[in-house]
Amino acid sequence: MEKSVYLNKIAVWDKAAAHHILSRTLFGFTQQDVAFALSKSLDDFIDNFLLGNKPEPQSPTYQSVEWVNSPNNNDTRTNYSNWFRTLIYWWYDLMLNQGMTFREKVTIFLHNHFVSEYNVVQVPQFMFHQNKLFRQYAFGNFKEITKKVTIDPAMLIYLNGNVSTKTKPNENYARELLELFTIGIGNYTENDIKEAARALTGWRINNDTRQSYFDSTRFDSTNKTFLGQTGNFGYQEIVDIIFQQPKTAEFLCRKLYKEFIHYETNNDYVLQLANVMRTNNYEMKPVLSTLLKSQFFHSEDVRGAKIKSPIEITFSAFRQFNLVPDETLYSYVRTFLSMIQQDLFNPPDVRGWEGQRKWISSNTYPTRNNFTDSIINGKRFDRNTTIKKVDVIPFTRSFSSSENAVQFIEDISKFLIQFPLSTTKKNSLLQTMLDGTAISNWSTYDPLAEGRLKNFYKYLMRLPEFQLL
Amino acid sequence: MKRKDFLKHLGMITGGGVVTLTVGGIPIKAFANSFLNINSTNGNVLVLIQLKGGNDGLNTIIPFEDSVYFTKRPTLAISKDTVVKLNNLTGLHPSLQPLKSIFDDGKMTIVQNIGYENQNRSHFRSTDIWLSASDANQFLYDGWAGRYLAKAFPNYPALPPAHPMAVQLGSVQSLVLESQYGGMGITFQDPNNFYQLVSGINADNDPSPNTLAGEELKFLKEVAALSIQYASVIKEKADASQNKVTYPNTNLGTQLAIIADLISGGLQTPVYLATLDGFDTHANQVTSHANLMKTLADAIKAFQDDLQLLGVADKVVTMTFSEFGRRLTENGSFGTDHGAAAPMLFFGNRVIGGFYGSNPSLTDLDSSGDVKFKYDFRQIYSTVLINHLGMSKEQVAQVLLKDFQTLPIIKINPTSVNDNNLIPSDYNLEQNYPNPFNPSTTISYYLAESGFVSIKVFDSIGREIKLLVNNYQTAGKHSVQFYANGLSSGTYIYSIEAGNFKTSRKMLLIK
Repeated sequence: MEKSVYLNKIAVWDKAAAHHILSRTLFGFTQQDVAFALSKSLDDFIDNFLLGNKPEPQSPTYQSVEWVNSPNNNDTRTNYSNWFRTLIYWWYDLMLNQGMTFREKVTIFLHNHFVSEYNVVQVPQFMFHQNKLFRQYAFGNFKEITKKVTIDPAMLIYLNGNVSTKTKPNENYARELLELFTIGIGNYTENDIKEAARALTGWRINNDTRQSYFDSTRFDSTNKTFLGQTGNFGYQEIVDIIFQQPKTAEFLCRKLYKEFIHYETNNDYVLQLANVMRTNNYEMKPVLSTLLKSQFFHSEDVRGAKIKSPIEITFSAFRQFNLVPDETLYSYVRTFLSMIQQDLFNPPDVRGWEGQRKWISSNTYPTRNNFTDSIINGKRFDRNTTIKKVDVIPFTRSFSSSENAVQFIEDISKFLIQFPLSTTKKNSLLQTMLDGTAISNWSTYDPLAEGRLKNFYKYLMRLPEFQLL
Repeated sequence: MKRKDFLKHLGMITGGGVVTLTVGGIPIKAFANSFLNINSTNGNVLVLIQLKGGNDGLNTIIPFEDSVYFTKRPTLAISKDTVVKLNNLTGLHPSLQPLKSIFDDGKMTIVQNIGYENQNRSHFRSTDIWLSASDANQFLYDGWAGRYLAKAFPNYPALPPAHPMAVQLGSVQSLVLESQYGGMGITFQDPNNFYQLVSGINADNDPSPNTLAGEELKFLKEVAALSIQYASVIKEKADASQNKVTYPNTNLGTQLAIIADLISGGLQTPVYLATLDGFDTHANQVTSHANLMKTLADAIKAFQDDLQLLGVADKVVTMTFSEFGRRLTENGSFGTDHGAAAPMLFFGNRVIGGFYGSNPSLTDLDSSGDVKFKYDFRQIYSTVLINHLGMSKEQVAQVLLKDFQTLPIIKINPTSVNDNNLIPSDYNLEQNYPNPFNPSTTISYYLAESGFVSIKVFDSIGREIKLLVNNYQTAGKHSVQFYANGLSSGTYIYSIEAGNFKTSRKMLLIK
């Protein structure tokens, strides 16, 4: 593909394009989702639905009582374990039931970009409000959200901004702001970090109101020289100066590329997308819109080349198989996600989850297989307890080709697997499903059908191709 | 899972007949007598303990007579009367008390002031530098231990050894065990659990398409194949022995207990990796660092005692490392920020014992006001590779990409691996130099035999953009220049095909 057409909109809006966009923007898609997407034009679908405005969700509650506005003190602390659990399940719900929007995946992207860990912050109210901020700005202005995150209470705790004073400025946030959140290594000096740290002093948290506030007595009000400019800078000026640098858009677009296109970047595409970001003054919506519609994004090579994150493999399986979780299943999911290294609200360190091949080791890969088996078997793999399971017969019959074995294999493999399967592989799937019966005898009304289909779906989800999207 | 069940599994997928597992595109012969245990190692074991976050060296190995230490750390300095004194100038953090007897027995070495030129203070970059043994401005995509293992097991992946080449306790594969053939180690948390986990994996032998997605699929299949391969031998060796001491009930304690069990059970793996996290003590360091020191000391003491009782202490050297030390001057949050040089600790019957190097100068500091390094960390790697794992100097210079002088911290191994026992000269495709590069770079490679060779360059989407070599060449070392005129910055892949030897590496063009 000529690099001059990388960002051009795709010419044909068809099933293959819809599968690709839906698998990358949602947590699993249904046949209805595909039909809906194709009933709109590409522009309408992307700009008004996937990137459309949606009302903010209601806040999580514990035993029907809202807790997100509670103060942080020794009394409220006794509830934190319960409140935190409801926060996690609340986000699981949003990922599953959000509808036709890209918002939750972008929110996770922001959570993985502006990292804070609950293990360090230890206050669920702060984590909730930070998460709310990410959701508010998912399609908003990146410069603005960077400013907001800088004085966000969870972040102030996580990177020690709340103890940074003019006599002893703490460099932790200043370093990560430059290295990981905006411009990247090689574009600033250790001195810039020290100067930025001075400009970021003075912020504290009020544990009753849960707000951060500025204490001028702790602020270094002398001049700082940062990225070549001098002045009595505070946090806003620091962020403004960072966003004046052309490298910032490049760094941010490289991250978007890595998350939504491929883990190894094409520099030309990144630079072109960065132009879009700068021209649009760091608004996310035009950047994401361009990305999702671009020919490059839809190229053969990009399709099926992403390794599903733990959250993707879990929730897309639920959504695609129409398995509606209950709390028992959520509790199991939380344990499972932790085993395969994606504990929500607890990335391993400030760089966040690296993703792609890092999700797969001799330990985590077999564990994923055990999980996908378990939602067919209806039993946790780590304990011998029952869980809700996929209803294989109604699910299979939701496909018009369910009684035609060969066509069904075609349809189900395109629906569940984004990687183009070889003829041998499809044949192997067919043989597994038939389990010895002749093709012409295949029927979902056969008493043996349920057993065959359970085996078949487990086998399908154990294919390495199933790990890709 | 028994060997015949494993083969039966494969049979189920292909309908019987000969099955070919592939790793790195090269077929593994899946029959018993092909799992030759080509022992290219000398039987010694290296245990790496990674201290993640940047361990505060100055509060670990304490210069308790240096007044500057106390002036710069008014709240954090360990008081002279609580230091566990090792001599009249230096001592241990009080929580490291359990290590004192090991030191007194001459089985602990402390090497001072280890670091590298142009210290990088980013956790991730500096960790990558330590794990890949690169220069500060160089980018390598494999680990020093991975490169060592590729040399020590030259027929991998065509003929993998019967035991895993490296074992990592944990869940996410570390860069340190990566090589051009992929991950050289097996990662798991518990041998029995791992065995249960793996027994359901199906292997398959479909060739993967030559696309980006195909590459990821190949990777997934490799992980599956290796897991199947090693799960049962790991369980067998774990069951063959048991720990003779009670380990502390900490994550590190458990990791070391498993390692001791596997070594004494007869697993021939030469490299193990354990991890202890939490060293990034920017605030309120006193308690958190003390806890970490206690965890470290209790686990290591139990480990050394256990190895002794199990009769395998003579072959194990354990070493700790971290991505940097911390600043001399404490910050305003009762903690320390990222620093530079720091000490490393070594344990085992084969270490020389005592100190190597003296306390850091706290007045002659680097430009950031941090401890200057005296010894490059790669000298340590050179030392353990030559004096403990028995590699030749020439091979180590290839693994570390340069010659690094060893330090006298390990007793010279009389039973070095004899080069003559190794399969005569291996094929190898070196990392290009320089990397990153602009506008040209040199690609060197070694041919075991004369024959037809082709070397191609691809862009990051897999399109072939240059055929660099395409002719008959003699056995030995060769180099070719790649000029990137007219190409855009980014990652490129160069691959070699010489007979059955096929592999590729990545390089980075930065204009």
